[in-house]
Amino acid sequence: MDMESIPQEESSLPASGGILKTAVACVAGFLVPGLGHALLRKWDRALVFLAAICVMFFLGIRLQGRLFSPDFSEFFAILKFAAEAGGGLLYWLSWLQGLGTGNPAAYSYGFGNVFMYTAGLLNMLVVVDVFDIGMGRKK
Amino acid sequence: MNNHFLLMVIFSALVSLVFVFLTKNGARDRIKYFFYLFGSFILLSVLAGWIMYPFPF
Repeated sequence: MDMESIPQEESSLPASGGILKTAVACVAGFLVPGLGHALLRKWDRALVFLAAICVMFFLGIRLQGRLFSPDFSEFFAILKFAAEAGGGLLYWLSWLQGLGTGNPAAYSYGFGNVFMYTAGLLNMLVVVDVFDIGMGRKK
Repeated sequence: MNNHFLLMVIFSALVSLVFVFLTKNGARDRIKYFFYLFGSFILLSVLAGWIMYPFPF
């Protein structure tokens, strides 16, 4: 294909942002929401992802949601754990601190769990975004 | 915080914000898409609530 026929926006993308740098950014982004974007100098996204995901996660704990421990005996327990563990260090540090014991009798228990599941799942999407940016597929 | 509607609004706002920054570039596009997503979350949730209202469980 003739280079002149490529739109300016696409031709300005790098072929690859460096696999090592991308891998480091993905791991960092998985551990701390937004850190991957910060390493790729996408400051606006980094700030928004850090703030939104942390607020969701800690609001979930505040709403008396439960942090599901690693439990591989039941299918849905695995899914719940996987969703929450997507939050990276947010999950593990809170779990080690003994937070998120959960109170099923609480009015907001269901909402608390949904907030924490969603925070973890959104963080996984954010890591995919880091990968795409790092590999030059996206600006 | 015992207000389900308020919690739904907070949830919708935060998820919309993340989706907007994942999918759009430029402030104008982001603002437009944010309100589109946020409004859709709220409207469809209320609609789904009314549809489920007669259910006995």
